[in-house]
Amino acid sequence: MKEYIIRLVYVEMLGHDASFAYIHAVKMTHDDNLVLKRTGYLAVSLFLNDDHDPIILIVNTIQKDLKSDNYLVVCTALNAVCKLINDETVPAVLPQVVELLGHQKEAVRKKAIMVLHRFYQKSPSSVSHLVSNFRKRLCDNDPGVMGATLCPLFDLITIDVNTYKDLVVSFVSILKQVAERRLPKTYDYHQLPAPFIQIRLLKILALLGSGDKQSSEKMYMVVGDIFKKCDSTSNIGNAVLYECICCVSAIHPNPKLLEQAAQVISRFLKSDSHNLKYMGIDALGRLIKISPEIAEQHQLAVIDCLEDPDDTLKRKTFELLYKMTKSSNVEVIVDRMIDYMISLNDNHYKTYIASRCVELAEQFAPSNQWFIQTMNKVFEHAGDLVNVKVAHNLMKLIAEGFGEDDDTADSQLRSSAVESYLRIIGEPKLPSVFLQVICWVLGEYGTADGKYSASYITGKLCDVAEAYSNDETVKFAGQFSLRSSVHEVEA
Amino acid sequence: MGIRFILMVNKQGQTRLAQYYEYLTLEERRALEAEIVRKCLARNEQQCSFVEHRNYKIVYRRYASLFFLVGVDNDENELAILEFIHLLVETMDRHFGNVCELDIMFHLEKAHFMLEEMVMNGCIVETSKTNILAPIQLMDKTY
Repeated sequence: MKEYIIRLVYVEMLGHDASFAYIHAVKMTHDDNLVLKRTGYLAVSLFLNDDHDPIILIVNTIQKDLKSDNYLVVCTALNAVCKLINDETVPAVLPQVVELLGHQKEAVRKKAIMVLHRFYQKSPSSVSHLVSNFRKRLCDNDPGVMGATLCPLFDLITIDVNTYKDLVVSFVSILKQVAERRLPKTYDYHQLPAPFIQIRLLKILALLGSGDKQSSEKMYMVVGDIFKKCDSTSNIGNAVLYECICCVSAIHPNPKLLEQAAQVISRFLKSDSHNLKYMGIDALGRLIKISPEIAEQHQLAVIDCLEDPDDTLKRKTFELLYKMTKSSNVEVIVDRMIDYMISLNDNHYKTYIASRCVELAEQFAPSNQWFIQTMNKVFEHAGDLVNVKVAHNLMKLIAEGFGEDDDTADSQLRSSAVESYLRIIGEPKLPSVFLQVICWVLGEYGTADGKYSASYITGKLCDVAEAYSNDETVKFAGQFSLRSSVHEVEA
Repeated sequence: MGIRFILMVNKQGQTRLAQYYEYLTLEERRALEAEIVRKCLARNEQQCSFVEHRNYKIVYRRYASLFFLVGVDNDENELAILEFIHLLVETMDRHFGNVCELDIMFHLEKAHFMLEEMVMNGCIVETSKTNILAPIQLMDKTY
């Protein structure tokens, strides 16, 4: 039977439905043989989701197994609870799970904590009175249980930082002990002491120290030590160092730590490994908020990453550029972004880049002229992906001017807009949103400076209406604008 | 939080192990697996082991004929996940001795059991190979 159930797991893995046999997997969980029982639970958790009906059949078995004398059976049941219990069935197993938090076997305690974590994720109100258990298990003798407790604590701290500020000292002390190799050797990975636990602790400290000078000061020493001692030749060592940089950039700034972080970033960016370059660019983006001058130092490396054929690296670098944009470099950066956007096929990402370009242009545009030209380019190549509000903003801007009471500047702006649109209007296959903007502008301001006659503008608009006769909105916009320019003619 | 799914897929695109930490229907899984395998197969050795997909990331690593793909939230440490994949392979290697794709195919439930010990609720819970393999070895001995 075991073999058949496993083959059914295969069947579903290859994408075919095996629901006719779910009941057999459920039945196998009743078996006393541990291997069969565990395989049964595994199959059920792979086949079913916590809001499928057959789950009710399992709850009884789980309750029985949680009380078993054999700790392996208890562990198996706890695994199943994690995947299968939903907020309705929580009360059925909660009391038993809480009892298991004090079980003599560390494996059981570890899994019980994760089950409690899962309950918290699914139905926070049902376990709100039990949250103190997480604090207790943090001090558990077994490092595995302590390490597991960090997961729910991270979630709790993310939601409510202040309640847990008192734990800063504990976390710092634990991190210190881990870094000083006081955990059993079995937690070593590639000669580094419990690196995954270190990383989680650093994430937690980053949350607790953010915006809080007092808490941050307690962390400086241990983070500085890790910077110094951590092995920088292995991937996992670099992973820990990267997490240190994230921590340093989140908490209250400390010049020495920032200096160490900058050194690590330099090393990452100079490395041949694309993975390290990626991490370096990401870390640079975080540090820029605190020390903007660091961007200048690494300009060349950043440009190299931009030119790299690796797509993932390019995207990461554009994110960095977005953070680095100021009025002095916005033209260069946005031009690059637009070029990249044009080359993209993935619409989801194209939309993202387009809206980034628009954001930067709106925020940092050095001149109105440049702004309109840039917006034109974005519309031309990604018009249908851009939010319609952006088009309205643009039209509003052209209509109301840029806020300075300079009528000549405003009318110059409109003239140049008209010029550029008359040029563009001849091009085939323009996006609908863009055409609406063009039609409106031409209709309103086409004859404003007297350069073009109303009949010329009207003629152009008629061409548009004909060429895009399939597109209702464009036709409408075209007709509307025609009306305005016809009024001009009559006047 | 953290890990959304762990997949082992071979070069022909056949899934050898799939563990999802958030629920997806069979059709959704098939579509997802096909999409990301295509993306990862198209990349070469010189490129990053990280790929951005929709609103999360995929960290992948290739071992002989098998791709290990882990889907993670955007706030995860990518290098750490890359090494987690290696830890998983090292653990399986310790248990099976020179682990290969066939071992996973013929002992799928063991591979799952190992993963169950290491990851719960999409969080990495246990990283000591001794602790991960102990329950499995006990199970093998007693039954």
